Amino acid sequence: MVGGSARPIWRPSSQGIVTLAILVFCGGLVIYPLIYLVAESLNTGEPDVFPPTEYGTGNYVDLIDDWHVLANTGFVACLSTVMAVGIGFLAAWTLTRTKLPGRAWLERLMELPYYMTPLVGALAWSILAAPRTGFLNQLWHVAGGSGDLVNIYSPFGIAWVMALFEGTVAFVMISAAMKSMDPALEESARVLGAGKWRVMLTVTLPLVLPGVLGAAVFVFAEMLGSFAAAFVLGLPGRFVVITTAIWQAVQSYPPDYPRASALGISLFAVMLATLSLYRAMVRRGNFATITGKAFRPRTMAMGYMAWVLFAGCLAYVIVAVFLPLSALLLTSFQRFATVILSQSELTLANYETAFSFGAVRQALTNSLMLGVGVASVGVPIMVVLVWIIYRSKSPGHGLIEYVVMFPQAVPRMVFGLALMWAWLNIPIPIYGTLWLMALAYFTVLLPLGVRTLAGVVMQIDKSLEECARVCGASWGYQLRTVTIPLLRPGIVAAWLLVFIASVRELGVSIFLVGPNAKVIAPSIISSWLSSSSELSAALALIQTAAVFIALIVLFRATRRYSGEML
Amino acid sequence: MSEARIEISDLVVRYGDVPAVNGVSFTVAQGEHVTLLGPSGCGKTTTLRAIAGLEEPSGGSIRIDGTTVYSLAERRNVPAEKRGVSMVFQSYAVWPHMSVANNVAYGLRVRKLPKDEIAANVDRALGLVQMRDFADRSAALLSGGQQQRVALARAIAFSPTVLLFDEPLSNLDAKLRVEMRVELRELQRRLGVTSLYVTHDQEEALAISDRVVVMNVGGIEQLGTPEDIYNRPKTRFVADFVGSANLITGSVRNGTASPGPVQFDAAGGLALKAWAAHAPHGGETCVAVRTAYIDLSAGAVKGAPNSITGTIRQRLFHGDFIQYIVDWPAGQLTVRRPPTELFEEGSAITLSFAPEHCVLLEG
Repeated sequence: MVGGSARPIWRPSSQGIVTLAILVFCGGLVIYPLIYLVAESLNTGEPDVFPPTEYGTGNYVDLIDDWHVLANTGFVACLSTVMAVGIGFLAAWTLTRTKLPGRAWLERLMELPYYMTPLVGALAWSILAAPRTGFLNQLWHVAGGSGDLVNIYSPFGIAWVMALFEGTVAFVMISAAMKSMDPALEESARVLGAGKWRVMLTVTLPLVLPGVLGAAVFVFAEMLGSFAAAFVLGLPGRFVVITTAIWQAVQSYPPDYPRASALGISLFAVMLATLSLYRAMVRRGNFATITGKAFRPRTMAMGYMAWVLFAGCLAYVIVAVFLPLSALLLTSFQRFATVILSQSELTLANYETAFSFGAVRQALTNSLMLGVGVASVGVPIMVVLVWIIYRSKSPGHGLIEYVVMFPQAVPRMVFGLALMWAWLNIPIPIYGTLWLMALAYFTVLLPLGVRTLAGVVMQIDKSLEECARVCGASWGYQLRTVTIPLLRPGIVAAWLLVFIASVRELGVSIFLVGPNAKVIAPSIISSWLSSSSELSAALALIQTAAVFIALIVLFRATRRYSGEML
Repeated sequence: MSEARIEISDLVVRYGDVPAVNGVSFTVAQGEHVTLLGPSGCGKTTTLRAIAGLEEPSGGSIRIDGTTVYSLAERRNVPAEKRGVSMVFQSYAVWPHMSVANNVAYGLRVRKLPKDEIAANVDRALGLVQMRDFADRSAALLSGGQQQRVALARAIAFSPTVLLFDEPLSNLDAKLRVEMRVELRELQRRLGVTSLYVTHDQEEALAISDRVVVMNVGGIEQLGTPEDIYNRPKTRFVADFVGSANLITGSVRNGTASPGPVQFDAAGGLALKAWAAHAPHGGETCVAVRTAYIDLSAGAVKGAPNSITGTIRQRLFHGDFIQYIVDWPAGQLTVRRPPTELFEEGSAITLSFAPEHCVLLEG
């Protein structure tokens, strides 16, 4: 059995070759466009000529004139981070530490806002709370109020919509920190004679604080790169943040690519710094509560307060999911959006347009096709990636993790801009086609898919695979007969999550759509720009329906495998 | 072709800069059952995994069945799947997505044997571990002991010449562990397969091995038959880790330079008659006396070589034995006697032990 097929130490194995190929391919996908963007941001010559004829830092110096844009971005991000972490902390504490009726149900419901995209949320809230025409303001007028009750076209409006969306992210992160705290730490304080509140202040809070701060930094980084809410709610009131400034620079005539690039690279630098801070916080030992071990937290009986907290969590889900969806639903069936039902004219015209009007129908089918395609082709590649990152010993496997997770640190808008600029200037004619879109989706969704699969790979006992090798199986045979069958629940989850993320993708798509390559989220934007909130509502609902159908399949599948995928 | 099935020489395995195994050499002969014994972190599992091809060594050589599978000098490293060894893992590593029969058939399928031969071998292997009735059961539904048997059947199904065991019994409860120990020894004898076994349980190591390799901090402390290891420990570590022993410090009296009886001067003016398994160099500072080898009696013992008076300080009843702490001129001694030999705390006794049980330690 031991034969001449022994390989010398220095010759690369099949794993080594695959590792190298992946490094080159993914590295190219991720890094290459960014190099183009950096080059363009330093272009002080003719803005449309590439490669630039003159280099300089002029575009960055000009950003000083845009100080109000930077200030706006910081203000909105801070405001919504505070709101999102507040929502997340209260909900996490309520759901992990108190005795509540229907806790498991509520916990599932709390995940829903994440699947409402900021775009859908922003559209719905502009229907609900736009000055004069918003449903809430209409009702206010009917009730005899004067002026507007609320105005969503404001920095507070943007922060509000983003906080509703990010609140669930903060919730998931903070409750993870709370769940991993050993209840013995609190119990020993109780035994030593400390009261409920004293324990809370002296033990619980200090232990959970790093988790809360981590969530805040992470959410803040996400806010910096968010586009949809600022676009829908900020532009009517001429409130511009960095992402919308980039958009305006590209859309202006002639397009100001150097300015857009400089803005994009700056945003990327800030986001990278913020995420590095987050990583440093997570890495440093002060995450004493995170031991990787899950504890069953001790819950407290709260009396009548339990009902108040319960109502609070439910109100969040209603405000973040059901209220916006109802507003969209009502609007999508009307000729003119109104909440005064006596004046309303019900119609199916919007859906007819959505399904029959060529461009819109094309966008819908393209989005579904891309979702299925990217998930089906991408997830198998991600499986191999994850395996190499977490199981392989070939040199370079650590580097792959960095490359693969890198897109997370690049704001979607900036990455879309970089891709557009790179592929406009490469003589391979795939710009404006679905192929480039697929490649882009695969790249930006790498972190999502890899993270989902990694959770499952790490749960698989290493010796299950080693045993296959010792039994005589080659790497490929082992992957096929042992690893992939054991990974199946993770693969299903990753497929569905990648599908969902593809269908709702906006930041990258908006720069890559072309006359022959339309997808749904940018179509919603353009229909909204042509001031048809009714058609936009119908489109947003169709998109949300696709996402929720995939989500239901996901829940059922994960329940069947009884593993915790999410 | 040499007689040895496994030959390890100067094996070094590093994790980063830290050597986990540091220059280990030993051989396992055809049909022999050798155990690597040591505390956690001593490098025993790493050695085993290096032999299986699951860790890449950074020095030395490994030969299996006369073929070099790893050698730094020859720059050879045969991958795990081409080494032809078999292994039983600590966690059993029974694949939960396959039936019992498919688990056992895996190594045979990899080797592309004909269908009827696979079926016959699976049946034979499952028969040997008394799991024939479970062949079609899903492996996810088995108890710990049953998984253990399936892992064993899978390991022997393709008739490997070398079988590696990585603490296979450590996840079983105490009672089952003792039963499986007997069965494993029986099976190993019947198949005549060469096996290398890793455990931190000294009782297990002594009970089932032909030879034991005691390891500590990446190196070998002592290598010998179980009786050798127990009766003639070479170092403080072995005397302390295997079984229980009293370590008595002092110095060797000059004059002897060959193995055999020596005089050992201990504290309290005691002159002990001791035994050296090696040629004493004069610098030894310690003898070891097993707690089970010390006799206690109420009166004086006539003609016994090491016969010293003392007082019972403490008595601890353990059931299978009684442990006494005895004050004697050189300090305190721990003595284990059968529960039939009862002495009251505070009573004066005479303790005695044979010179060959008072072993001079090399270091």
